[in-house]
Amino acid sequence: MVIHYKCPNCGDDMAFDTESGMLSCASCGRTDNIEDFSDEFITTTFSDEEAKEYNCNNCGAAVITDADTSATSCSFCGAAVVLADRVSGSLAPDKVIPFQISKEQAMDAFKKWCKNGRLTPKGFMTADRIKNITGIYVPFWLYDLHSEADVKAKATKVRTYSRGDYIYTETSYYDVERKIDLTFQKVPVDASEKMNDEMMDKLEPYDYGSLKDFKTPYLAGYLAEKYNYTNKDLFPRVKSKVNQYVDQYIRSTINGYTSYHYENKHVNTEERKAYYCLLPVWMVYYDFDKQEHTFAMNGVNGKVVGKPPLSMQKVMAWFSGIAATTFVVLKAITILVGGDLW
Amino acid sequence: MRTKLRGITIAILTTIIMFSFQPTVLANDGKQRIFDEAELLTDNEVQQLEQLTYEHSKKHEIDFIIVTTPKAGKDIKKFVQDYYDDNAPGYDKPHGNAVIFAIDMDDAVREFYLAGFYKGKKYIDDTRINHIISKITPYLKDGNYYTAFATLIETGSEYAEYVPGIDPEGFYMQTWFHLLAAIVIAGGIVFFMAYNSGGKVTVNERTYTGDFRVIHRKDRFITKSVTRRRKPKNNSSGGGGGITGGGHSHSGGRGSF
Repeated sequence: MVIHYKCPNCGDDMAFDTESGMLSCASCGRTDNIEDFSDEFITTTFSDEEAKEYNCNNCGAAVITDADTSATSCSFCGAAVVLADRVSGSLAPDKVIPFQISKEQAMDAFKKWCKNGRLTPKGFMTADRIKNITGIYVPFWLYDLHSEADVKAKATKVRTYSRGDYIYTETSYYDVERKIDLTFQKVPVDASEKMNDEMMDKLEPYDYGSLKDFKTPYLAGYLAEKYNYTNKDLFPRVKSKVNQYVDQYIRSTINGYTSYHYENKHVNTEERKAYYCLLPVWMVYYDFDKQEHTFAMNGVNGKVVGKPPLSMQKVMAWFSGIAATTFVVLKAITILVGGDLW
Repeated sequence: MRTKLRGITIAILTTIIMFSFQPTVLANDGKQRIFDEAELLTDNEVQQLEQLTYEHSKKHEIDFIIVTTPKAGKDIKKFVQDYYDDNAPGYDKPHGNAVIFAIDMDDAVREFYLAGFYKGKKYIDDTRINHIISKITPYLKDGNYYTAFATLIETGSEYAEYVPGIDPEGFYMQTWFHLLAAIVIAGGIVFFMAYNSGGKVTVNERTYTGDFRVIHRKDRFITKSVTRRRKPKNNSSGGGGGITGGGHSHSGGRGSF
């Protein structure tokens, strides 16, 4: 089943526009609110062998995708198509954050980011070899979690004072118990096999204020993936993610002691709800020095992550600059307090 | 007119010649600072040391005084204290700025003591005194008294150029340490820059937290233990400074040879 958006005015293909947040027609300029876009103009066709091949409603050509793609554009006529069976049923997303940065803005933001790289090679900074920039809706699970932590610790307070000819060290021992209750809301974990976990974690945070109920037209004009892992599969990952937060909260409640160590620590985290959500990411593919570098940009706030190449020359320049300055400053201090140059 | 001019020229020339043939006795304030009662030095050496100590004493406004005695008859520290009380040395005034070195040549003792008073105490503190002592002890052991005393005056004068409280031989004054620190700091900063070039994590524990409640909190005192140790004392054997009978506080350090 393929979904295709036809302009009610002129019949041309429509796609999602980041600026207005609406479905818009490039030919006549018509814009339609996605919440009340009439189903009448969404043509859906079912084909018998859905899972294998999709045909474009516009031109009839075969839409070639890989198995995880849920939205793409027809490689023949360019019309935005959404593969409906990959966004329905158990694969139906609950929420979506639409792109708020257009392709041009993404390009500019990325170029600007390249210029700021203090250790990147000069040739890289000009950002003139961007091979491809693609807007992808990446599948995420957003977890609402409830954690309970129970800790028992031994703590000490140490006080020293002197009386007469002696220095006294007084160590007081305490039993410390804490039980805390925490809820976390919409902790994101990416559910796509293709995406690098570390990179996706660094893209956070997403502005949940622009979270919308899922409607297929948001995907028009972009690529979208379906999840490879269910919320059950990824629960251990979200758990380890929030465990470090829980630890920080526990530590924040134990204060006033010189030292403490846990004798017993029990953290129980359970899932209250998991939302299947598509989050906007611009993927930038950049050829530099015969290597392809991949960067990801948060499609809401423009934050860029990904390892840029390092220029050994620049690394050395910074290193020697800082080392020389430090050395001179230390020498200057030495001379100021009366020392000799050598 | 002409003869008058010639007369002046001759007078000037004579003066120059006269002065250039003068023995090397340079300007001095006439104050004695080397008291070689044990006769460890030749007259010439005494004179040279007098000149040296005069120059450095003037430079720092601290009298560098050396006293040798064949037999002190009392502890060498007490000897120095009494010497200061009785003789009232000092560059600026009686009982003023002074650094005193005394050496007891008594075969049964063979000890020496170095003390700083007032400005001398401030600039030649216990740490610096210990450095000086370890520099001169080998010379004293060899019987090379002149070199020992000259080294003492020159090193003391050099140390007096440092801001008080700083250890002139401390590791933080050494070039190897400055190099090492520069490399470590620069390496750390550049590594941090490279590490962060791929983007930082910008979420923390507060980003996703809904509610946070402490349900149960207990802090129960169990027991306490007290240990005590003796205060570290200044070496009662006389190492370190003290106060003279006349109430003058001083820094100090001793050694034997």
